[in-house]
Amino acid sequence: MFRRLALLACLSLPLPVLAASFAGTTAGGLSASSGSTSAAAKVVRAARDDAAAYVASDGRIRGARLEAALRSLRESGDAARRASDMELARAILAQ
Amino acid sequence: MQPVGPATWNWPAPSWRNESRPALGPVIGSARKRGLLCAWALSCAGLPGNAMALHLSTRASGLGPEQVGAAEALYADVTARLPPRWRDALGEVIVEWRRDMRGEVVGRSRGTRQHGRLVLDLRLLDPSASLAGQPADALARRTLVHELAHLYDRSAQGGLSRDPRLLDLAGWQRRPWRWVGRGTNAMRDRSPDLYELTRPAEFVAVNLEDFVLDPQYACRRPQLAGYFAARFGLPDPALACRSGLPLLDAGEGGRLSVMQLDPERVAGIDYLFAEGNDTPMSHWGHAMLRLVICAPGRPRGPDCRLDLAWHRVISFRAFVDDVQVSSWRGLTGRYPSRLYVLPLDRVVDDYTRTELRGLRSLPLRLDHGEITGLLLRAAQLQWSYDGRYFFLSNNCAVETWKLLHDGVPRLAALPLGGITPTGLLRRLTRTGVADASVLDDPRQARKLGYVFDAASAHYQAMFDVVRGTLAVPQHTVVQWLDLPPERRARWIGQADIKASAALLLLEEAAQRRAELQARSALKRRWLSGSRKELPPALRALFDEEGLAGRPAELAGGGYGLPQADEVTRIEAALDVRNATFGDAAEASWRRQLEALLPEAERARLHGIDANLDAIGQRLRHLHEAAGGPPLVMPADQPAKATIGPSP
Repeated sequence: MFRRLALLACLSLPLPVLAASFAGTTAGGLSASSGSTSAAAKVVRAARDDAAAYVASDGRIRGARLEAALRSLRESGDAARRASDMELARAILAQ
Repeated sequence: MQPVGPATWNWPAPSWRNESRPALGPVIGSARKRGLLCAWALSCAGLPGNAMALHLSTRASGLGPEQVGAAEALYADVTARLPPRWRDALGEVIVEWRRDMRGEVVGRSRGTRQHGRLVLDLRLLDPSASLAGQPADALARRTLVHELAHLYDRSAQGGLSRDPRLLDLAGWQRRPWRWVGRGTNAMRDRSPDLYELTRPAEFVAVNLEDFVLDPQYACRRPQLAGYFAARFGLPDPALACRSGLPLLDAGEGGRLSVMQLDPERVAGIDYLFAEGNDTPMSHWGHAMLRLVICAPGRPRGPDCRLDLAWHRVISFRAFVDDVQVSSWRGLTGRYPSRLYVLPLDRVVDDYTRTELRGLRSLPLRLDHGEITGLLLRAAQLQWSYDGRYFFLSNNCAVETWKLLHDGVPRLAALPLGGITPTGLLRRLTRTGVADASVLDDPRQARKLGYVFDAASAHYQAMFDVVRGTLAVPQHTVVQWLDLPPERRARWIGQADIKASAALLLLEEAAQRRAELQARSALKRRWLSGSRKELPPALRALFDEEGLAGRPAELAGGGYGLPQADEVTRIEAALDVRNATFGDAAEASWRRQLEALLPEAERARLHGIDANLDAIGQRLRHLHEAAGGPPLVMPADQPAKATIGPSP
């Protein structure tokens, strides 16, 4: 019976609906002060956890969302082009 | 979302419409004789087609001169509209007009190409009549095309309804085990006429009616229009559809919108695999497809891989409208199987943060035409497919495989079918369809988004950072996460920037645990009750999820992909719903759900919120104190012709 149940593999639980409702703060709770809703702002906001892991691990853990945010910041600002990855990651965390 | 203009029909210079029409008139002896001879000889396949081009003639049966004239005009009109190959495949066709057709039937066809015979309802020739809610002349045209389609389908050149590719496109989908054949056709939503689902021959006839007569057919059923055009040796009419492919996008905070996806902006498609975990339901992982969509203004190419905010995920899921999943209902196909289009960001959050499952994203080796084919198929499924979910035979892996199979003919020939997401991953890699080499260098894979780690992968490392800086007495991550929030709070003020970053991730882990407990508490409360007893807040959320997987319910009339005016109506309906479910309303939903929780759970969630706030302030304070510059948020690029999802 266990093996058969194991094939429930990809049955979606209905509870992610609930989770999504409760989880409203996981990404945005701390950056609610940022009123900007530009595309780049969203990219940066989505990179917050990646930035935290990067800062805490001295740059060893480097996820794709951080990478996307660094590129997005540098594509549109001279200041960001001059800053190091770590400086930008800290700035993202301080958002 | 910008409104799109009405889909235009730009059938590329239909040269065959300008050709001289075949002579109409009384039955020509020689042709008739050949037809009869053929009938005797049983096989006509060897006869040259052109010598036998379609020739419709009325069998003398007491028609008045006006009716004869109307019939001749109808023959001329319809014959001129048919593609030459179709016309050439048919020979002499005799039409008998009768007054005694039964029930709702207005036409029948018999025989094959050289001795075709049609029986049509005489009322179709009365210009003032109205049958089955349609003016007689329009219905007459449809009926004649329909019956001629049957004759063509039965001819040697036709055979459409026996072509495996047609069956794939029509929706008689292959089963994962070859020897079991095909399932029933579940393309029930937004059908032009449900009669098409009765059997493949009727599907062909109904669809050829619209292919010939409805200028919007190519944009409503682009994949089928392309197939028919290829069979008739015509250019693909769907290329003239200006707008993108409409897909219902379940964006942030449950906000729904119709995105017009332009296949030109899709740089690639990945097989997105969510790793299994220890719970039985997720043991074999989850199979999805990731659309690598380029940000507006970026040329299609490898750089688009990091435009994560624009990427979308196609995920087939059972829609369960209750707090409790029933294994029995899952095994017996009681849940609908639905195609969801979700932002990649949301999928990454759901799996890596909420479910603590890692994701692997392997690029599929597809050329651009194949990518377009896959997207056309996905759009058709989202608006028309109403399948059932079976744990063993029609789960997410099977649905994803069928989408690959029906969207890309080349893949249909490969042994990819199977019933588990891990199995599909293995077969895609073994056949070289998926490129697993992107995983060879783990650091690169993580950096470029081929791998998304489960949040839990770093909990221990984060806790080690905290212990290295602060003298916390706890020895394990679990001990730390199990503390009441206020006992973790006292360390926040002492943390340096590294430790604060680690505390942030650990606090989010604690939040996830608290949310899981809250979910169980809610679940226990309604486990035994019926759905009717759910509080309105929960019921409304389930309904919303249901809608995201079955947008046809919003669309009203029309068939196939919704066209501009229908999209406008859908968006108006979504605006109303988004006011209830969108970002702005999210805080209110959260309060309503929290109010349903036991006091202790609620207090814990609030304590964690306060900690997250405090860590955020601490991080800002440390950043400023270190002289770090504030982040200047870049503004949006000037809007170009953006067809695609919003970030």
